[in-house]
Amino acid sequence: MSSHKKFLKLGAAALLAGAASVASAETIKIALAGPVTGPVAQYGDMQMIGSKMAIQKINEAGGVNGAQLEGIVYDDACDPKQAVAVANKVVNDGISFVVGHLCSSSTQPASDVYEDEGILMVTAASTSPDITTRGYQMVFRTIGLDSHQGPVAGNYIADKIKPGNVAIIHDKQQYGEGIATSVKTTLEEKGVNVVMFEGITSGDKDFSSLIAKLQKANVDFVYYGGYHPELGLILRQSAEKGFKAQFMGPEGVGNNDINAIAGPASEGLLVTLPPSFDKNPANADLVKSFVDVGQDASGAFVLTAYSAVQVLADAMVKTGGTDTDAMQKAMREMNFSTPTGDIQFDEKGDLKQFDFVVYNWHQDGSKTEAK
Amino acid sequence: MLEAFLYFIQQILNGLTIGSTYALIAIGYTMVYGIIGMINFAHGEVYMIGTYVSFVVIAGLTMLGIEYVPIIILAALTIAIIVSSSFGWAIERTAYRPLRGANRLIPLISAIGMSIFLQNFVVNAQGARDVAIPPMISGGWTFGTENFQASLSYMQLIIFIATFICMSALTLFISKSRMGRACRAVAEDIKMANLLGINTNRVISATFVIGASLAAVAGLLLGLYYGVANPHIGFIAGLKAFTAAVLGGIGSIPGAMLGGIILGLTESLTAAYISSEWKDAVSFSLLVLILLFKPTGLLGKQEVEKV
Repeated sequence: MSSHKKFLKLGAAALLAGAASVASAETIKIALAGPVTGPVAQYGDMQMIGSKMAIQKINEAGGVNGAQLEGIVYDDACDPKQAVAVANKVVNDGISFVVGHLCSSSTQPASDVYEDEGILMVTAASTSPDITTRGYQMVFRTIGLDSHQGPVAGNYIADKIKPGNVAIIHDKQQYGEGIATSVKTTLEEKGVNVVMFEGITSGDKDFSSLIAKLQKANVDFVYYGGYHPELGLILRQSAEKGFKAQFMGPEGVGNNDINAIAGPASEGLLVTLPPSFDKNPANADLVKSFVDVGQDASGAFVLTAYSAVQVLADAMVKTGGTDTDAMQKAMREMNFSTPTGDIQFDEKGDLKQFDFVVYNWHQDGSKTEAK
Repeated sequence: MLEAFLYFIQQILNGLTIGSTYALIAIGYTMVYGIIGMINFAHGEVYMIGTYVSFVVIAGLTMLGIEYVPIIILAALTIAIIVSSSFGWAIERTAYRPLRGANRLIPLISAIGMSIFLQNFVVNAQGARDVAIPPMISGGWTFGTENFQASLSYMQLIIFIATFICMSALTLFISKSRMGRACRAVAEDIKMANLLGINTNRVISATFVIGASLAAVAGLLLGLYYGVANPHIGFIAGLKAFTAAVLGGIGSIPGAMLGGIILGLTESLTAAYISSEWKDAVSFSLLVLILLFKPTGLLGKQEVEKV
């Protein structure tokens, strides 16, 4: 909350100073990069509404150092090639700040460009550990890592479900395979019997062979590392084939589209998600602002994106300018008070702490915490 | 022992299902190639449009309160065929006919352009996200032991039957009808056929329309089977069907049927006994192998290069 007050004070100061310097109504541009189209556009929406709301709130409070923020949307369609094109466009457009990208496989190649060009990037959704293990200075994230999420899922499976035969399926992409491997490691440490570890092709529609294989291996628990379009079809086809097992996935499967695809078969799916920050009473006013404009703040990346913008703005205030190098140094020292809690970054640019929670997903798109 | 056998049967059934639909789409590639010697790269999009149209019809009729499934499916089938074949016809009119007689590369590029246009057209008109319909035909037969149950769903059976009917009808049409005879004549020698008074433009249009109708049937069947579509499904389906057509011998109709079935079975058996990860790698290696030893494909015949 303190930072909100800080903005208010700044806003008042800006108003007073504004009379003198109306002419220099400069704006600080922030690139909002993520999938606006394509199969995972729904997650892009979450990121966009969160970051736009943050920009709006900060501007209403007077902006940053007297300047207004302006968000400019870039669409990478979750495609690594387009992500690099977007990164180059951001460079050409002379923008120094990026909130994004969303898919880890997009963030990774795009961040190479940002690091080289001294553009400060904060991703609100990419959870692949590889992104921050390259010693980059300009790359931050306001979400946890697969290496945090995997153990949460693995421990839940081993301690609460205690299944007989586990199969781990992934989509061979950076995000999906990374998290699947992390779950596998945890399960094997705990002595759970993993009978199958297999990749599928992202974009595939027919999983009948895979399901027959799962049936034959007497699998009673399936962990899927990947996104909802494939898992939705696997759930639907499993139900049609009469294959009954408990399914679980990472936050990449947790959105309403999976209900449309899988229908009743999505009931009871287990999902690891960032905690429901929108349920935190401290965020009630903010959540209401989303509701007032007909938006949903409960998406997994809405408030992490809000925090990403706020972190950038706070660092601008702290350093009194927009020098990205000074800002990245300051960000590693600062404490940020955001809707996703009080956060601090470590040397790599990761959050010092971020907890994932296991939820039961329901066929109407709602979720309840799994006990 | 019995279990292993049932598992094998199950995978064969799965492979035949997917293979049948590859074959239906592959016909469109192979017929167009047989007649004008070009690959219609926009054909996958025609299949995608077929799926979308059937989804729209199914959703529309369900909203109107019609619940009798055969009526809904017949209506979806009819409208999907009409719309898709209009697209097939229009693709030929706009991307091929104006370029007739031009260098062979040029219509190829215009077809790829058409494919990109159609994909983006559907993205803009229907949204880029997955659209889904609830299962229309559920249930089936299961057989087996307690440990493993093989199943054949009604939907799979419908796919087999529909493919069989379409293929038989097409074979009859090509071998017996007047238009079919004209098609074969044009495929053999387009200039000669023209000289002998066959309206070759009409024959070429008919080829695109027939290919598109079969793609629409595949679109409806796969739409019902998977229940999900997005504007990009045409690309992968088109690639697979094209592979099937090349495998069987492009230009040959029985070859497309055979190629589709072989591709479907290879995919399903690889997924079953090796790993889903290797599905595409094995299928495409098979394609390379067959082309190495039999460059015209399994049932293709040696052809004089058309100029």
